[in-house]
Amino acid sequence: MPEILHYSFMVRALIAGILVALAIPVMGSFLVARRYSLIADSLAHVSLAGVGAGLLLGVTPIYVAVPITVAGAVLLEWLRQKQRISGEVSLAILMSGGLALAVVFANLAHGVNTDFSSYLFGSIATTTTQDVIVLGVVVGITLTIIAFNYRALLYIAFDEAGARIAGYKVSLLNYVLAAITAVVVVLSLRIIGGLLISALLVMPVVTAAQFARSFLQTILYAIIVALVAVVAGLIVAFYAGIAAGGAIVLTALALLIGAFILKKD
Amino acid sequence: MSNSLIDLDNISVLFGAETAVKQVSFCVHAGEFIGLIGPNGAGKSTLLKVILGLQMPSKGRVRKDATSVIGYIPQRGDLGPIAMPISALEVVMLGSRGSKQVALRSLEAVHMADVAKKRFNDLSGGQQQRVFIAKALASDPNVLILDEPTTGIDERSQTEFYDILRDLQHQGMTIVMVSHDVDTVLRLVTRVVCLNQTIVYDGPPQHFESDKYLPSFFTAQHRQLHHHHGGQHA
Repeated sequence: MPEILHYSFMVRALIAGILVALAIPVMGSFLVARRYSLIADSLAHVSLAGVGAGLLLGVTPIYVAVPITVAGAVLLEWLRQKQRISGEVSLAILMSGGLALAVVFANLAHGVNTDFSSYLFGSIATTTTQDVIVLGVVVGITLTIIAFNYRALLYIAFDEAGARIAGYKVSLLNYVLAAITAVVVVLSLRIIGGLLISALLVMPVVTAAQFARSFLQTILYAIIVALVAVVAGLIVAFYAGIAAGGAIVLTALALLIGAFILKKD
Repeated sequence: MSNSLIDLDNISVLFGAETAVKQVSFCVHAGEFIGLIGPNGAGKSTLLKVILGLQMPSKGRVRKDATSVIGYIPQRGDLGPIAMPISALEVVMLGSRGSKQVALRSLEAVHMADVAKKRFNDLSGGQQQRVFIAKALASDPNVLILDEPTTGIDERSQTEFYDILRDLQHQGMTIVMVSHDVDTVLRLVTRVVCLNQTIVYDGPPQHFESDKYLPSFFTAQHRQLHHHHGGQHA
């Protein structure tokens, strides 16, 4: 058995990482197609506010972050659907507002700031068995919801008006996609980190899009790319003693650059 | 009326204080090929949205026959430059609700079976528009609604596109098409509806051009159009 697997924290991190790599590129494919890839970034910042509040209150941060982030997702989608303000403006407002709250909460919750940085950049040492189980359940539910609504979500991603005409419940599905994105984002915080999560949502999808001939292929390739990035990144993080999120995202970036170079020929 | 598939009854659409569509009534009968024309800002697209159920009218009612199934072909630009890969087959399967068999048959109907596995955004404008027809056909419609379908497509592809529409109409399809291409509309359709907020002409294409019927604003625009085309139709 390789040395890395002797450490139970590392085994937990790898399992959690693989679960994240299964779910995030699938959601990412739909979000990138809708030009809504920044939603994960905004939601991650909101979730950090929830984490900060949790640390301040002395409650498990995730339990505070999930409802706050889902509320943020629903608010974003509502703003988008009502077209009160444009999509990217509402994303920007939520993003900076969320981070500002997060910083203030974290400052107030003095003494736990070291823990807070693991939510910013990810950490391999902090994933508990309970984290892994909850993540497994959520990823299972997420992929099931997406599989059952695959056609409708694809229709919405490429032609929202057409999907409405065809009779799909477009508004409801948009809220559902935003909400499950929120939950998966929160649960991925410990592995990837809030500041880096959107990279895992976008980069594997863009890498896959260089070679895929169909949407389904894009999803499958993106999962493979994300798995490689997460596993390689975690291994690098372990041996180099660096933040997991940074190592994972740099691996994903290297794969993306490689894809661009290969595609050029 | 027994054979009316869509019945617009005194439709008005207001955006704030601005009137987009004013007291429009007309029926779409089975087998008709209606060309919906009018100057820019005449409310054509708004009226289409009302028919499609994407826009609630401020006044009036839309009745659709229980047998009417609408296939919609958007302006090509409406899907934008698609950033993500989607195959032509996947686009058509959106219309067939996932049935690959129906989708392939629809692609064959528009002579596009050979591009099924190609990326949609690698296709030419004309090919993309034919894929859209296939997508609309895959939902097994009896009414096709098209919004400026040939915008940005080269002339040969336009001709092929219109040939397909003509064939479909001969097979019994009811068609409503918004177009700025008045000459083509007059050659193709069985009925012209000219809109300028309200309906200013509704009748056969043969009568549309006679001085008696042609609305004055259109005479100017129409002449201009001819002028643009080098006056070949004048």
